[in-house]
Amino acid sequence: MSVPLVPKLLRAHLRELANDNKRLDDRGQWDSRNLEIEHSVLPRAEGSAKVRIGDTIVYAGVKFQIMTPYEDRPNQGGLMCSAEVRPLAGRKYEPGPPSAESIELGRVVDRGIRESGCIDVDSLCIIPGEKAWQVILDLFAVSDDGNLFDAFAIAGIVALKQAIIPGERFGVGEDSKLEVNGTPLMCSYHKVGGRFVYDATFREELGGDERIHITLGDNGNVHSLQKGLKGIFTTSEFEEIMGHALDRTKEIREIINTL
Amino acid sequence: MGGYGDVRMIDDNGMRMDGRGPGDLREIFIETGVVPVADGSCRMIWGTNEAIVSIYGPMEAHPRKIQRQDSAVLAVEYNMAPFSTTDRMRPGFNRRSKEISKVTKDALESVVLLELYPRSKIQVNIEIISAEAGTRCVGLTAASVALADAGIPMTDLVVSVASGKINDIVVCDLNKEEDNYGEADLPMGILPNTGELVFLQMDGDLSQEEFKQAWDYNMNAASKVHEIMKKALTGGDGE
Repeated sequence: MSVPLVPKLLRAHLRELANDNKRLDDRGQWDSRNLEIEHSVLPRAEGSAKVRIGDTIVYAGVKFQIMTPYEDRPNQGGLMCSAEVRPLAGRKYEPGPPSAESIELGRVVDRGIRESGCIDVDSLCIIPGEKAWQVILDLFAVSDDGNLFDAFAIAGIVALKQAIIPGERFGVGEDSKLEVNGTPLMCSYHKVGGRFVYDATFREELGGDERIHITLGDNGNVHSLQKGLKGIFTTSEFEEIMGHALDRTKEIREIINTL
Repeated sequence: MGGYGDVRMIDDNGMRMDGRGPGDLREIFIETGVVPVADGSCRMIWGTNEAIVSIYGPMEAHPRKIQRQDSAVLAVEYNMAPFSTTDRMRPGFNRRSKEISKVTKDALESVVLLELYPRSKIQVNIEIISAEAGTRCVGLTAASVALADAGIPMTDLVVSVASGKINDIVVCDLNKEEDNYGEADLPMGILPNTGELVFLQMDGDLSQEEFKQAWDYNMNAASKVHEIMKKALTGGDGE
């Protein structure tokens, strides 16, 4: 699909811009695009959110199923997180089974939410050893103009925070709110023109090198990290983006907590 | 069809459970340009149905073996998002989605002027993010609006509506309960300017008279939906 010549020219252009400390859309190195968050947007989901970052648009929907607890964890329910980037979201996406890229997307967002412990899996148990709730978080891209990771992570946690466990429909008691203790959030950085930038657009991703994703919890604890794509980075580069991630996750958390 | 004739869904005055008369449509809302990275797009809300359609192309068709020397190829992907239904829809291969993709493609190929774009491809992606009943109609109607939004020449828009039968009474635009417990369903794809058809399916049990009534309901509904589509495309509010 991709024509190798275009990224080559784009890379050269991005390198020139970086030398002048500029970006394609006149943002500063650490600036984000406009962020919009809506919740309760999907009538068939038990919890849902829509997030828009610039021209990147995603949905998250929460569904529940009843599962048999794993034998070694009879008192626990489960959390499953899956991401789909279908041809709807961009001309580079092809129909068919999920690509390695969208599996990585789902798994990185999953780890951030799971490892933060914000979903208490013990509270999802209905009858020990027999029945427990499985929370399924589906992340769905509508328009990919870069940085799907952060959009999915924000949409995912907002949808979970809205979710109602449909006890009545499954005949296991009353409907109740899903307990979510904490707001883990991801910040993603892309090496573009030799330096890291925050919230890369599709074209910056196309002409960039490695990317780093950091998920931080309410107290600044680190819950997941991922380095993707080819590239080399230094400890001091990482320290710089970690510093930015600490500030930025606080800002986004404040927006979410006022929804 | 469920065929459970004992569920009462229409009262003696001909009023349906959601307050509509037999020939009434659910509420419809259309907006365009909802997928900024696409060449054309449309969001259509029809009752509790919600579809998002994006169009990419005309663009290079590859691999080359799918190219046609005298026209463009049209690729249609219909899919239901996992959170679009009451019980989660498992992602992945699905015979129903494949069939709907195919009949939607057959319908759209009949109106798009494909011969203007030899050796290229037009990709139509239909995603149902909320499903009630009649998602194939919403998908096809929204796809024709999205194609128009992409500036792709067509002989006409396509309006797709379904009528059916509940408690032995023919009604237009079945909702979820009516579809589950109804006795027949007749979806049609209509060219509103000529009244010609590009899509037709039916299942259930209809007498010749009932069939005629359902056909007429669909034709009438098509011109109503057409007005909303035109408004959405010419900058009206789409409601």
